[in-house]
Amino acid sequence: MPDSDNESGGPSNAEFSSPREQDRFLPIANVSRIMKKALPANAKISKDAKETVQECVSEFISFITGEASDKCQREKRKTINGDDLLWAMTTLGFEDYVEPLKLYLHKFRELEGEKAATTSASSGPQPPLHRETTPSSSTHNGAGGPVGGYGMYGGAGGGSGMIMMMGQPMYGGSPPAASSGSYPHHQMAMGGKGGAYGYGGGSSSSPSGLGR
Amino acid sequence: MEPSPQPMGVAAGGSQVYPASAYPPAATVAPASVVSAGLQSGQPFPANPGHMSAQHQIVYQQAQQFHQQLQQQQQQQLQQFWVERMTEIEATTDFKNHNLPLARIKKIMKADEDVRMISAEAPVVFAKACEIFILELTLRSWMHTEENKRRTLQKNDIAAAITRTDIYDFLVDIVPRDEMKEDGIGLPRAGLPPMGAPADAYPYYYMPQQQVPGSGMVYGAQQGHPVTYLWQEPQQQQEQAPEEQQSA
Repeated sequence: MPDSDNESGGPSNAEFSSPREQDRFLPIANVSRIMKKALPANAKISKDAKETVQECVSEFISFITGEASDKCQREKRKTINGDDLLWAMTTLGFEDYVEPLKLYLHKFRELEGEKAATTSASSGPQPPLHRETTPSSSTHNGAGGPVGGYGMYGGAGGGSGMIMMMGQPMYGGSPPAASSGSYPHHQMAMGGKGGAYGYGGGSSSSPSGLGR
Repeated sequence: MEPSPQPMGVAAGGSQVYPASAYPPAATVAPASVVSAGLQSGQPFPANPGHMSAQHQIVYQQAQQFHQQLQQQQQQQLQQFWVERMTEIEATTDFKNHNLPLARIKKIMKADEDVRMISAEAPVVFAKACEIFILELTLRSWMHTEENKRRTLQKNDIAAAITRTDIYDFLVDIVPRDEMKEDGIGLPRAGLPPMGAPADAYPYYYMPQQQVPGSGMVYGAQQGHPVTYLWQEPQQQQEQAPEEQQSA
C-alpha cells in the first residue's frame, strides 16, 4: 500500500522529519474524491488545484493543532483530545464546524462506549501500523503522579496507533509493534470531561499501565 | 496500510444546483467577481447617483441588482452546505472507515514539536473536520470558477476563495501572489469588450473609494486601481494572521 513510510528515529523530533515529501499531505486521491462531492458532475479539477487543496488541508491541521496544543500546555495537560480541537476551531473562527463535529464526536464516543462494553478488541479493518509513532524513547515528565494508570479504548486505526504510542513510554521504550493484539486495553467511563481520562502519567517512573 | 475510504452517508441529491440564468451577460460577471473580492458587502456605493447620466443610472441599478442576487445565491449555497453536513453526520453509523487516513493525519499533527500525545478521538475528529474543510473550500472556489464561465476548477479559483473568506487568512502564504495577480487581470479583460458608457458605470459601482466620475481618463485610472487593491489585500490579511506558518 502507498502508506508504507517510516518515521525517522532518534532523540530529535525535527519538523518534517519524514524523508518523503508526500508524508506532509493527505493522499491526493482522497482529497480529489472529497472535492468532487462539492462540485457538479460535469466539473473538472486541475492538478494544480488538487495539490493546492492538499497543502491547504495540511495547513488547516497544523493551524488547529497548534492552537489546541497551546491550550493543553497552559492547562498542564499532555494529551490533545477531541474537545481541545473543537475549542481551537472556535477560537480560530471555524465556529460553523463545531456543531457538526460535536455531533460526530458524540456519536463516535457512544459507539466506542458500546464497543468497550462488549470487550471487543479493536481488530477492525485497520490493523495496527507497524512503525513507531514516537521517535523519542521516553519522555521524562514525572511532575504529576499517575492518576490510576490511564484510560484507553480501541477504535479506528488512529486509536491503534495511539495505543502503540501509549505503550511505548509505559514499558520504558520497548514498542509493542511485535504483536498486533498485545497492546494494553483498559476500559474507563467517559463522562465527556477533559479530566476524566489522563494519559501517560509518570511515563518512566511507574509503568503500571496494566494494573487497575 | 491505508484504509479504503468510503463516502460517509449520502450526499443530498438536490445539492449544488446552479441555475444558468443567474449569469446572463458575460460582461457583468467578471467585474462583479473580481472587485467584490475586496468588498465585504455590496451595500456601500460611493458614487452619487445624481451625478450619473440616465443611462449610467440604469446600468448602475442593473449591476447592483445582479451583484445582490449573486451574493444571495452564494449565501444560500453555503447555508445549504451546512444543513447537508448535519444531515450527513446524523446519518453516519460507520466510524471505522474514514475518507481520510488517520495515520497520515496523526503524522501531520505530530510535525509540531510541541505536540506530545494525541488521544484516539483527535484524528477521528480531524478526519471529519478536514472533509468539511475540503468541501467548503472547494465550494467557495467553484463559485469563482462559475463567475468566470469556466468548468475547470483552477488554482486561482482557490486563491480567490482564500482572499474572500476571512477564516482562510492562514492560507494566504500557500497561494503565491501570481495567482492573485491572475485574478486581478481578469477585470481589465472583462471590462474592455463593453461600450464606453457601460464601462464607465462599473467602476462607480464597485469602487470602494470615492471617485469623481468623468470620461476615459477616469476609466483608465480606475481600471488599474482594483488590481492594486487586490494585491494589497493579501498583505493586510497576513498582518491579521501573525501566527507562525509551518508550510515550507
